[in-house]
Amino acid sequence: MSFSRRDFIKTAAIALGATSLPSWVYDAHATTGAYLDVNKNNLADAALATAKKLGATYADIRINRYRLEAVNTRERQVLNVSSGQNFGFGVRVLVKGTWGFAASPIVTADEVQRVTAEAVEIAKANSAFQRKRIELVPTPKVVTSWKSSFQKDPFDVPAEDKVAALLRINEAALAVKGVNFVNSSMAWVNEQKFLATSDGSRIEQYIIRGNPSFTVTAVDRSSGDFQSVNTLREGQAIGYEYMSNHDWAGEATTAAEHAVMKLKAKAVAPGKYDLVLHPSHLFLTIHESVGHPTELDRALLWEANYAGTSFLTPEKTGKLQFGSKIVNFVADRTQPLGLASVAYDDEAVPGQQWHLVKDGTFVDWQTTRDTAKLVGRDKSYGCLHADSWGSVPFPRMPNVSLEPAKENVSQDDLIAGVDNGILIYGRGSYSIDQQRYNFQFGGQTFWEIRNGKVGGMLRDVAYQSRTTDFWGACDALGGRSTYEVPGSFNDGKGEPGQSNAVSHGCPSARFRQINVLNTASSPNAGQMEDH
Amino acid sequence: MLFSEKDAKALTDKILSYVTASDAIASVGSDKLSHLRFANNNFLTSGTRTARTANVTVWIDSKRGSASTNDTDDESLKAMVAQAEKIARTAPIDREYVPTLGKQTYKPVNGYVEATANLSLTDRARSISEILGECEKNKVIGAGFHSARSQAGGSATKNGNFDYDRSTNVSLSVTTRTPEGTSSGYFLRSHYDIGKLDTKRIARESIRKTIEGANARTIEPGTYTVILEPQAVADLLGNFSFTFNARNAEEGRSVYSAPGGKTRVGEKIFDNKFTIYSDPWNAEVPGSQSANGGIPADRLVLVRNGVLENLVYNRFWAKQKGKEPTPGPVNTIMEPNGPATSLEEMIKSTDRGILVSRFWYIRGTDPRTASSTGLTRDGVWFVENGKIAYPLKNFRFNQSVTQMLGPGNVLMIGKPERVGGSEGGGATASLLPALKLKAFNFTSQSEAV
Repeated sequence: MSFSRRDFIKTAAIALGATSLPSWVYDAHATTGAYLDVNKNNLADAALATAKKLGATYADIRINRYRLEAVNTRERQVLNVSSGQNFGFGVRVLVKGTWGFAASPIVTADEVQRVTAEAVEIAKANSAFQRKRIELVPTPKVVTSWKSSFQKDPFDVPAEDKVAALLRINEAALAVKGVNFVNSSMAWVNEQKFLATSDGSRIEQYIIRGNPSFTVTAVDRSSGDFQSVNTLREGQAIGYEYMSNHDWAGEATTAAEHAVMKLKAKAVAPGKYDLVLHPSHLFLTIHESVGHPTELDRALLWEANYAGTSFLTPEKTGKLQFGSKIVNFVADRTQPLGLASVAYDDEAVPGQQWHLVKDGTFVDWQTTRDTAKLVGRDKSYGCLHADSWGSVPFPRMPNVSLEPAKENVSQDDLIAGVDNGILIYGRGSYSIDQQRYNFQFGGQTFWEIRNGKVGGMLRDVAYQSRTTDFWGACDALGGRSTYEVPGSFNDGKGEPGQSNAVSHGCPSARFRQINVLNTASSPNAGQMEDH
Repeated sequence: MLFSEKDAKALTDKILSYVTASDAIASVGSDKLSHLRFANNNFLTSGTRTARTANVTVWIDSKRGSASTNDTDDESLKAMVAQAEKIARTAPIDREYVPTLGKQTYKPVNGYVEATANLSLTDRARSISEILGECEKNKVIGAGFHSARSQAGGSATKNGNFDYDRSTNVSLSVTTRTPEGTSSGYFLRSHYDIGKLDTKRIARESIRKTIEGANARTIEPGTYTVILEPQAVADLLGNFSFTFNARNAEEGRSVYSAPGGKTRVGEKIFDNKFTIYSDPWNAEVPGSQSANGGIPADRLVLVRNGVLENLVYNRFWAKQKGKEPTPGPVNTIMEPNGPATSLEEMIKSTDRGILVSRFWYIRGTDPRTASSTGLTRDGVWFVENGKIAYPLKNFRFNQSVTQMLGPGNVLMIGKPERVGGSEGGGATASLLPALKLKAFNFTSQSEAV
């Protein structure tokens, strides 16, 4: 069964009583304008019927509303508090094996018909020159609704509380002697997504994500030197409880102390080191070196003109040694706190969990209904996503996570096995080539490891490696107690460019003999061996 | 449908009429995007999107709040203003509040062409099909993206200013690869006038690079003389004008900071062979008529004869420092101070060096030295004894931009051309030349193609 938001409010209010309603129903009550006047089912019926009449063999319509609240501060002042909403629809059609898409913010029956006809017109203009038809694998019809897990809807929290929370972070940082600047922000996103497909599926989803953040800077005006440290926390699919289940002010104090310490820290000597990588750092290395190369559209050259292709190719499936035997990567659209977690993707395929790398071997891909067919699969793993009603849905990354050790291994246990190494926290500078072989990553704080113990702070550290060498050098993983679920709030890909949010759960992990360079020293300090 | 000047004025006036706050700025925007993506010598996705936005920022007793919506009916606009005022009432004092501008006089910029805004679907499909035909004929695999965008919007202040701007941009990028994946080429160009986008040249250059790039060899990374094609320069310096932030420099956290809270303005930081400036009325890369919070844009020189001439002050920081707000930048233009040198002459004059087509995935590594890392992509060649000797595999680089453009390191400068950074897909364009640089630091190799 599906329903318009206004119908649902009426029905639910009668059946359950107002006190039982979820907060998003209250929010819908408070909304003004076109949003509440829309009967999505009727509009979907019109779009799908029009598309069929004009010759589409498949069609879908997404009628979506996005809300964003953002607060930005620096030191003891508020830079901005903003609140926005964006509502519209996009129609996708497949005509003679060629995609067409059109979208509009005017959500009316007439506009839906006009835009659907425009999508078909675009598909037909291109299909006259199409070389090879696009085909879809089937997926079962589903009619349902789903809400992501959160305790406190951030859109119910007054702006002044958000401002106060950030100013507390800033005060904590500024209380540390030697700290000059602090910027803090929080962004909250709410997606209200409706999808109807010509296969008969009708799905409503309500998703909340949050991304608090801060950066502390210490300046040594006598020398002209300056150093910054960012929060080690990342965005999550979580409600406003994120602001109370983590000690943000305490972390800001620590970050401030580290920023001051970084001004005087020892410069790293370039060379080979064993690395122990904390989840706050490792997640981004996973994102770039594992998440992206296992996207099937990249391997099929669909992304060749922009983000790039992949060193993985279909014939390497089940054969290529990606990493050491202890390395297992799981793609998961259902992971708790995962930024890419959904019940269904943007073409009605259910959220799933599957291995990409099993016992060190590359075994599988991230797929959609149009890419799966090209590697002989009969179903999709559900990786289609659009960042807006106005964007064409295309293959996007699910949460891709590194499984922890089954044993109870602590980060200290990993460090104990290192004679000469570096412990790295936080995301820093990151860069990787277009086939995902060669990468360079920095971090936020770096600590010397000598004879199994953590010593003083280092600075100007980055490491360069090659994906399969790097994961092949992973010789130990932390256990479940070291596992965290950090993620990236803005992952760009595609043309036109789209931004996706995605998480990478991981434990602390150890890597042997990785090439480290000093980013502040002579230019050729970081030369690598030739591969 | 794009907002006309009359539409934008009526809507912003309407928003301001709902404002009870003491000061406010209302803005509305509209855009239309039409795109076609192809890959594997096949059409992939294609579509169109119209969008519109309305924003308001209000100040109540110097307390600020903002809200936005994409519904432009009266009820939604009223709700947007009410939301912004609700936020402002509970916000702390905005210590960076500067009253909104009174009436300004702008000198119009011409960057809008109707034919770009309303391109023909059939003509575009045929043009891309011809590119695919060239790829098939040359036995390469083509991918690319054609995008045409038109934008129009206006903003109005409670103190009486109104600013309306509209622009168009069409871009085409083409990547080609050998079927074996052993060589690749790329070419991107854009223009605001679709009639001036040379789609055949874009395809031809991409295919040429792929064919000539086959059988790439490996050489040791290290410091080399380099010749950077305009695309590679755009990838490194496409937004260079926008990095001259006065506040960051005076706060001691920029490559342009000097000890003691001073800046390096007036210092000879760069080589004296070029000038970097912004010009809203440049015929190839028109900027917007307003800059820096709505003040009229004007020509702005940032680097002249190697000297850092200006840093950029926004209205708040200018007031703090007793300066005028800077009327830019709105684009990045880099020109040789003397005659331009052709790419052929640069190659001919090189005993041993590397020719780079493009850079990719460039990220800052150290703001103190404006250093970054990234990789070459889609075409690298070894130059020996004045000739292109053979194609090379890709490198990672680690390089400071200020060292790269530093005194004595810039050997030759080409004729600037309109080119956009490839990571931005040509959405914005700068006027940049090819450069021959004495030393550039490649730190490792990448086998990526």
